[in-house]
Amino acid sequence: MHRLAIPLVSHLPSRKPAPIRRRPQDARRHASSTAATYSSTPPSPSLSPLPPASAYVHLPFCRKRCHYCDFPIVALGSAAPPRGQGADDPRIVDYVRLLLREVAATRPVSDDGVPLETVFFGGGTPSLVPPRLVAAVLDALRGRFGLSACPEVSIEMDPGTFDAARLAELVGVGVNRVSLGVQAFQEDLLRACGRAHGVKEVHEALGILTSCEGLQNWSMDLISSLPNQTQEMWEESLRCTVDARPTHVSVYDLQIEQGTKFGQMYTPGVFPLPSDTESASFYKIASKHLSEAGYNHYEISSYCKPGYECKHNLTYWQNRPFYAFGLGSASYINGVRYSRPKRMKEYAEWVQELEDGRWIHKCRSSDMKDLAMDVVMLSLRTARGLDLQSFSKSFGKSLTLSLCNVFKPFVESGLVIAMDSKRRALPHIDFELDLQNEGDFGSRVAFIRLSDPEGFLLSNELISLAFGIISP
Amino acid sequence: MAGAAALRRSARRISRHLAAASSFSRSALQQPERLLSSQASPEHGVRGAVSGSELALYPPERVRNFSIIAHVDHGKSTLADRLLELTGTIQKGHGQPQYLDKLQVERERGITVKAQTATMFYRHTTASQDSDAPRYLLNLIDTPGHVDFSYEVSRSLAACQGALLVVDAAQGVQAQTIANFYLAFESNLSIIPVINKIDQPTADPDNVKEQLKRLFDIDPSEALLTSAKTGKGLEQVLPAVIDRIPSPPGKCDSPVRMLLLDSYYDEYKGVICHVAVVDGALRKGDKIASAATGRAYEVLDVGIMHPELTPTGVLYTGQVGYVISGMRSTKEARIGDTLHQAKSTVEPLPGFKPAKHMVFSGLYPADGSDFEALSHAIEKLTCNDASVSVTKETSNALGMGFRCGFLGLLHMDVFHQRLEQEYGAQVISTIPTVPYIFEYGDGSKIQVENPAALASNPGKRVAACWEPTVIATIIIPSEYVGPVIMLCSERRGEQLEYTFIDAQRALLKYRLPLKEIIVDFYNELKGITSGYATFDYEDSEYQQSDLVKLDILLNGQPVDAMATIVHNQKAQRVGKELVEKLKKFIERQMFEITIQAAIGSKIIARETLSAMRKNVLAKCYGGDITRKKKLLEKQKEGKKRMKRVGSVDIPQEAFHELLKVSNSK
Ligand SMILES: Nc1nc2c(ncn2[C@@H]2O[C@H](COP(=O)(O)OP(=O)(O)OP(=O)(O)O)[C@@H](O)[C@H]2O)c(=O)[nH]1
Ligand SMILES: [Mg+2]
Repeated sequence: MHRLAIPLVSHLPSRKPAPIRRRPQDARRHASSTAATYSSTPPSPSLSPLPPASAYVHLPFCRKRCHYCDFPIVALGSAAPPRGQGADDPRIVDYVRLLLREVAATRPVSDDGVPLETVFFGGGTPSLVPPRLVAAVLDALRGRFGLSACPEVSIEMDPGTFDAARLAELVGVGVNRVSLGVQAFQEDLLRACGRAHGVKEVHEALGILTSCEGLQNWSMDLISSLPNQTQEMWEESLRCTVDARPTHVSVYDLQIEQGTKFGQMYTPGVFPLPSDTESASFYKIASKHLSEAGYNHYEISSYCKPGYECKHNLTYWQNRPFYAFGLGSASYINGVRYSRPKRMKEYAEWVQELEDGRWIHKCRSSDMKDLAMDVVMLSLRTARGLDLQSFSKSFGKSLTLSLCNVFKPFVESGLVIAMDSKRRALPHIDFELDLQNEGDFGSRVAFIRLSDPEGFLLSNELISLAFGIISP
Repeated sequence: MAGAAALRRSARRISRHLAAASSFSRSALQQPERLLSSQASPEHGVRGAVSGSELALYPPERVRNFSIIAHVDHGKSTLADRLLELTGTIQKGHGQPQYLDKLQVERERGITVKAQTATMFYRHTTASQDSDAPRYLLNLIDTPGHVDFSYEVSRSLAACQGALLVVDAAQGVQAQTIANFYLAFESNLSIIPVINKIDQPTADPDNVKEQLKRLFDIDPSEALLTSAKTGKGLEQVLPAVIDRIPSPPGKCDSPVRMLLLDSYYDEYKGVICHVAVVDGALRKGDKIASAATGRAYEVLDVGIMHPELTPTGVLYTGQVGYVISGMRSTKEARIGDTLHQAKSTVEPLPGFKPAKHMVFSGLYPADGSDFEALSHAIEKLTCNDASVSVTKETSNALGMGFRCGFLGLLHMDVFHQRLEQEYGAQVISTIPTVPYIFEYGDGSKIQVENPAALASNPGKRVAACWEPTVIATIIIPSEYVGPVIMLCSERRGEQLEYTFIDAQRALLKYRLPLKEIIVDFYNELKGITSGYATFDYEDSEYQQSDLVKLDILLNGQPVDAMATIVHNQKAQRVGKELVEKLKKFIERQMFEITIQAAIGSKIIARETLSAMRKNVLAKCYGGDITRKKKLLEKQKEGKKRMKRVGSVDIPQEAFHELLKVSNSK
C-alpha cells in the first residue's frame, strides 16, 4: 500500500476562505468578464499583464478509453471499483501526490496575490478521483494562490461514477459546478462510442444532480455526428437535455482523430458517419432547439441560461492567462503557453525538474502576430465576437482594416455580422461605408462576430482567412 | 501501295549506301586482313591520365566515331556499358548499370534522355595476339530512343561516321528503329545492324534479319547477334566498328575547325562544350572564335570524356572531346555552331537544323512568391537543355511565369522533373498546346502558342485556322489493325500507308493533327494493343482546320491559364470533361461556385459546386489552443498554396489534373 508523504487529510477541514485581496481594476475586469455584460468594454484582453485568476487541473483517469478520444488519459480498467470509498487506487494517489508537488513548486505570478476566480477539474473522468483527493488539490491551490470569495469550481463527472453521497462530498469541499458527460441518450450510440455507461446510468446521474441541494449550476455535454446517429436520435437527445434543465449545455461535433479507434474505423463524411450536410444540420437543429428553450448560444459549442456562462472557459476565449496543473495540461502565463508532457513518466520527471529549479521556461513567448491570431481565433468563437476598437489599439488600425476587408464579402453574405457599440447588427452597407472612410473607421462598427449558426459552422474557414491576413 | 513503293525506293538507296560505306571503310583502314578475334586491352588503366602525346598516336585513320541508335529499350545503354567495360574504360561491376544515364530522371525512368559521349581506347588484336596490333580511339555516343529526343539523335549523328542500329531480337523492328535508321541513313552513315537480346527465350533473330532486309535492304549476313546481358557476341562489335565504319574525313594540317555538339554549365568549371574536331588540332591556350557570334575565347582546358572529363591538353583531327573556354553562359555556346581558329575565316560546318518545338505550355511557380526561384532554375536548366524555348508570360490566375516550347510531352515531363529534382523548383504547368495559326478577315495572321493570348471575342472574323500535323508511323501485330484504324480516325487521322513488315506485323502511316497525339494518344494506343504498338512521328505541314478557343469560367470569370484551343467538333466533349474534372478538384468554398466552359459568349458546359456546409472544430479543450491554432495555420497555408481567380481558390492539383484531360475521347 502506498502511503502519502503529504498529509492530505489534514487539509480537508481547512475550508476557511482565503483572504480576498482584490484590487479595484480586478473588480472591473471581473465585472466585464462574463459575456452577459457586453456593453462595457474590457481592457485589451491580449496585452494586459494580469496575473492568472484561473487554474485548470487535469485528472486523467478513466475506466476505459472512449473510441473517439485522443486526450492524455490513464485507463484504469474495469477492475477499478467505480464508487469505491475504501482503498484508493494507488495510481490515482500517486498522481495526486505528483499534482500537489507541481502546485507547490509553481510560483504565483504576482506577489500581492490575485486569488483564483475559477478552478476547473477536467479529465479524463475527474469524478473517479476520491473527493478528499480533489479537496487536497483545491486546498493546495488555495494555499498557494488564494481563492476568491465565491470562485467557480467546476468538475467533470461521468454517469455511473458517482452517487449522491459522493457528489455531496464534492460540493462539501467547494465544488460548485458540474459538467456531466452524457454525450447521447441512446443505448446503441453510447455503446458504439465505447462509453463506460448506458442510458440507465445517465438518468440516475441526472436524478442525483438535480436533487443535490448545494448544486445550482451544472452543464451537460452532448456529441453530435456520431456514427449511425439519426436526426430523430439527435432531436431526442436535445429534448431529454432540455427536460433535465441544466444551466449550461456543451454540444460537440464529433471529430475523428488519427490514432483513435474511430480514426481506424471511419472516414469523416462517409457512412455510418453523417455527411457534412447532415452534420451541419445537426448543428443547426441544436442551435434552434436550445435557443428556443431559453439558452444563449454564447460560444461555438456552448449554450447557457442567462448568466450561467462557464467563467473558466471565458478565460480562454478572452485570451486571459491561466495556470494549469497535471499531465498534458496547457498553461498560459506571462504570455507564454506551455503544454506539459503527455506521458506520465515524462510528466513526473518534469515535475522533478520544476522542483529542482532546473526547468527553465524556454521564453519563446508569442510575438504580436501570434497574439493577434490568438485573439481573433478565440474571440470569433464567441457570440461577443471581436472588439475592433480594442483590437485596433493593440495591433494597429491597418491590420484591423485589412481584417475587415477580408471579411467584407462574408458580411454581405451573412456569415459575418458587423455590430455597433450597442451590439446591434448593422446592414452590410453601413459596414462597407465605414470601411471606405478609413480615416474614422469604427464610427459605426464596433464588433464583428460570426453568425449563428451559418458563420459558426464555417468558423475554421473564416478564422484561417483572418490568419492569412495577420501572418501572410 | 504507293507507300511501299517509296519504301522500296529508299531501301535501294540504302543498299547502295551500305555498300559504299563498307568499301570505303576497308580502304581507309589499310589493314585488310580478316580479324578473327579481339580482346579487351585497357591501354590506360588509370583513368584520368591520358596525355596529349598519347592522343597524337591516333591520327584520323585510327579514330572511329559512332552512335548507338535504336527503338526505346532495345538495349543501347546496356550495350554501351559492355563496350566501355570491354575496353577497360569503366570497370566491370563498378558503377550502376546504364553507366552513361547520369541524370536522376534517366535513372528513375530507366530511359536515356540525353545523348552521352565516351571515348575508349581499343587494341585491335589479330589471332596471333600480336602485341604490335594497332590501337584505335573509339568515340561512342549513346542516344535516347524516345521520339521526343530524336533531336538528340540527329545531333549525335552529326559527329559520327557510323551507327550501331540495335534491334531487340524478340521485338524486332519498331517505330523508332525505322525513324532512327532513316536519320542515320540520311546523314550518310555506315550502319551496323546489331540484333540484341538474343538470350531471350522469344528471340527470333532470323525473323529480324528478314525484316531488316525487307525494310532497309540490309544484307542478313551483316547483322551481328549479341546479348548485352550475357555478353554473347559482343567481341564482334568493335572489330566491326573498325572494319565497317570509315574514319573521320578532315584535314589534319588545316587551321582548327570544329562542330559544337553540346554544352552544359558546371558550377565549378563554367560552360563545358562538347566538340567534334573536324579539321586541324585544338590545343590548350589556343584562341578560338564562334562562327555564329564572332566572339573569341582562349582554350583553358581541353580533353576527352573517358568517360569522365579527362584533360589531355589537345584534341586532334577527327577526335571528339570537351573544351572549356571561359564562356560565361551556354547562350554563347550555340549547339550546331562552328568553332574555329580565331582571326581566320572558315566555311561554317553545316550544323543541324534547330530543335523544333512541338508542344507549348506555361510554367508557373507553384508557390506564387517563388517566381525568382523558378526563373533562376529555368535559366540554369536551359543551360543544360538548350532544346527548350522560353519566353516570359503572365496569367491572371497564376501570376508571372514562362511559356516554354518542348520537343514533345515526354520532354516536357522530363523538363519538369529536372526542374524539381535538380533545382528544387515547384511548378504548375498549363494545358499543353501546339502552335496554331489564326488568320482574320482583315488578312492579319497570328501564331498562337498560348491560347490565352487569343481573343475570345476578337471583334473581327476569323477567316481561317491552321494546325500543325505529323506523319505518324505505327507498328502493330496485325490483329490490332482494326482498333488502331478506329483510333486514328477518331483522332482525325488520314491514312497514308498500310503495309506488312512480316507475316505477323503491320505498319501504318497516318497524317494526324499534332494536337491529337500530344496528350494521351500513345497511352491509348498501347491500351488497345495490349502494349504491342510502337509509335513514332515526324513533323509535317500545317493543315486548315475548324478550331475554336475554349474558355473556362469560374463564377463568370475566365481563367486564362485554363483556356485551350480545340477542334470545333470536339469542343462540347472537351468542355464537359474539363468542367467535370474541375468540379472534382476544386474544393467547396463558403459560397456556390459555377464552373463553365464557353466558346466566345456561348456556354457549352456547366457545373455548380455548392457552398461548403461546415468546417468547425468544436473542441478547444482545457484551454489548449495550440493544437487548434496549428490546424488553422495549416489551413491558412493550404489557402496560400491555392491560386485565386476572382474570389475562387483553385488548388494546384486542379491545374495538374487538367493536363490529363484527353482531347479526343
Ligand atoms: N534479356 C536481355 N535484356 C537486355 C539486354 N540488353 C538490355 N537489356 C535490358 O533491356 C532494358 C533496356 O535497356 P537499356 O540499355 O536501358 O535500353 P535503351 O535502348 O538504352 O533504352 P532508352 O535509352 O530508353 O531508349 C534494361 O532492362 C536492360 O537490362 C539483353 O541483351 N538481354
Ligand atoms: Mg538508353
